[in-house]
Amino acid sequence: MIEIRLHGRGGQGAVTANEILAEAAYYEGKYAQAIPMYGTERRGAPVTAFLRLDEVRVRERDLVHNPDIVVVLDPAIAQRPSILEGLKAGGLVIANYPHPPERFPLGGNFRVTTVDATAIALETLKRPITNTAILGAFSKVTGLVKVESIEKAILHRFPGTLGEMNVKAVRMAFERTPAPIQAVGGVKEKDEEGPLSGSGYGLIRSAAGWRTFRPVWNYEKCTGCRICWIFCPDNAIGWGEERPTVDYRKCKGCGICVNECPTKAVEFKREEI
Amino acid sequence: MEHKNFEVMTGNKACAWGVKLSRVQVASIYPVTPQTTIGEYIAEFIAKGELNCELVNAEGELSTQAIVKAASRVGARTFVCTSGPGQLYMHHPMHGTSSGRLPVVMATVHRGNKGMQPDHTDLMSQLWTGWIQWYCENNQEVLDSVIMAYRTAEDKRVRLPIAIGYDGYILSYTSEPVEIPDQAMVDEFLPPYEPIPNILPDKWAEAQTRRGAGMMGDFMSGGADPQAAWRIHHEAILNSKGVIKEVNEEFGKRFGRKYGNGLVEEYRTDDAEAVIVAMGTIASTARVAIDRMRSEGKPVGLVKLKTFVPFPTEDFQELGKRTRAIGMIDRNVCLGLGGAGFGELRRALYDLEERPRILGFYAGLAGAEVRVRDIEKMAEKTLKAARGEKVEPIIEWAKLGGGE
Repeated sequence: MIEIRLHGRGGQGAVTANEILAEAAYYEGKYAQAIPMYGTERRGAPVTAFLRLDEVRVRERDLVHNPDIVVVLDPAIAQRPSILEGLKAGGLVIANYPHPPERFPLGGNFRVTTVDATAIALETLKRPITNTAILGAFSKVTGLVKVESIEKAILHRFPGTLGEMNVKAVRMAFERTPAPIQAVGGVKEKDEEGPLSGSGYGLIRSAAGWRTFRPVWNYEKCTGCRICWIFCPDNAIGWGEERPTVDYRKCKGCGICVNECPTKAVEFKREEI
Repeated sequence: MEHKNFEVMTGNKACAWGVKLSRVQVASIYPVTPQTTIGEYIAEFIAKGELNCELVNAEGELSTQAIVKAASRVGARTFVCTSGPGQLYMHHPMHGTSSGRLPVVMATVHRGNKGMQPDHTDLMSQLWTGWIQWYCENNQEVLDSVIMAYRTAEDKRVRLPIAIGYDGYILSYTSEPVEIPDQAMVDEFLPPYEPIPNILPDKWAEAQTRRGAGMMGDFMSGGADPQAAWRIHHEAILNSKGVIKEVNEEFGKRFGRKYGNGLVEEYRTDDAEAVIVAMGTIASTARVAIDRMRSEGKPVGLVKLKTFVPFPTEDFQELGKRTRAIGMIDRNVCLGLGGAGFGELRRALYDLEERPRILGFYAGLAGAEVRVRDIEKMAEKTLKAARGEKVEPIIEWAKLGGGE
């Protein structure tokens, strides 16, 4: 039995990727069990899903604790050592990360490959939904599921243009993913700042990692109308001397301020990892 | 076998497929996690024109149950589903459905009474409502059980509502290959619903409503026994065991799958000194634990308890005669009384001349993860008890997880 764990954020489609992979594996005669881990999900919050592939019916009904393969859909999550928890010695990590595997920040007894799935998703889908692109990488480096089966499963689920766009993302990732290397690591995880104040965050220390894009203000265009300040759902925008100030730990990158600004003074810029 | 049509689907979709294949005519659903998507799939089938069903959105579970009860009374095949708190809210009209002997089928996607995670306390809280209760271990069983439930519930010898329980999240949202039976074959297996206008004579209804009914000289009730409605209802449930077995056998013959004898399924119990009993998805994981222990030469077996109401007393009495110890895993607790399965098992075996030892384990409550090795530990303890060793405590809250 092959056991796989997927990490992503709400909205990136980790659960869907898991189900597509299960269906694709099923087309090839394998038995698949795709388990999402549900709590109270929100767009941007970290999510996990699990997949078991076997030749016979899987009877275990617990979660996957010692995966053979870890798939990460989000570049900020890919930097966290917790993604390696329980990974079998010599296991494989497939990460959405904008740099080659040699620059992957985590090290240890595992192999790793990277692909900039966010860039591929933005190019093909015009949105940072990275789930289908990462499947192209999965197919290429594991060989467990043929890329044609993944495409068939995608088109079954999303017929028409949407499916075609996703298939394009899969193919692009398939071509761009390099062979895995022994993990080198050594780059320290960025320290997050102290706990967030304000209600509604629970135990989350910072929502900064949830962003794919960061809103940036051009104060020359800003008229001080306070519309961004009014609309921000997370109270991340404060008010200084006649101009907005942003607490980027609270900002999830939802883009409402960008959308609402009447003078186009707020711009979205992709976060750098 | 006939052609096989598989699809990778979640437990909730499997349930909706069961509803579609059973040609349900009226469904009433109020959304509650983790049951909600059943209603979405049914709505999708209706929108695509694949299912001719009236889907009634109600303002709560009290109403959904009342709606299907009324629809069933006037001759429609009906479906309702819920989870956890919704199940509790539905409690009152459930009595009416079963007292009216209406063959409503309900899916209970388990969500415990404390919090959001699954355990069997939601459906176990309904033990006194007079419904037949089934528990499923995988998505295929969910689909098949819906079809079998209509056939059983509508049988004129039964005429009782059936609740099908399956673990929320663990099955409801987990995808795996499920065979979709052929519609023509289902139609052959499940004839259209024929309502019976009034199963209980009016005099009983009258007898139950007036104090002093049944006493000498009470001409209004015609001397009817006020307890009769309870007795007849109780006996009807006990007597349904034969039909449940019969339907399971016939399903097996037609579709190539059956679930033990319909009440229980024994797994590697031949020559087993100790047997563990599990329900729902724990039974699935337990199969792996039993296989591992058998490969180490340990004579242990599993009984999967599918039908909890009516309780398969005879099956367990027969098992009790050939095994030395039974460990009951309860994913429920009746607060202040104990595990429902443990209590029933002891009730069933008390009259045996030589009783096996019966141990109790609480496991998987509030969604606590039950792993293979957790079940192995429970089976080890039961085996020790079978071999006459001292085991304490007799009833324990299983320590789950932790180190290897």
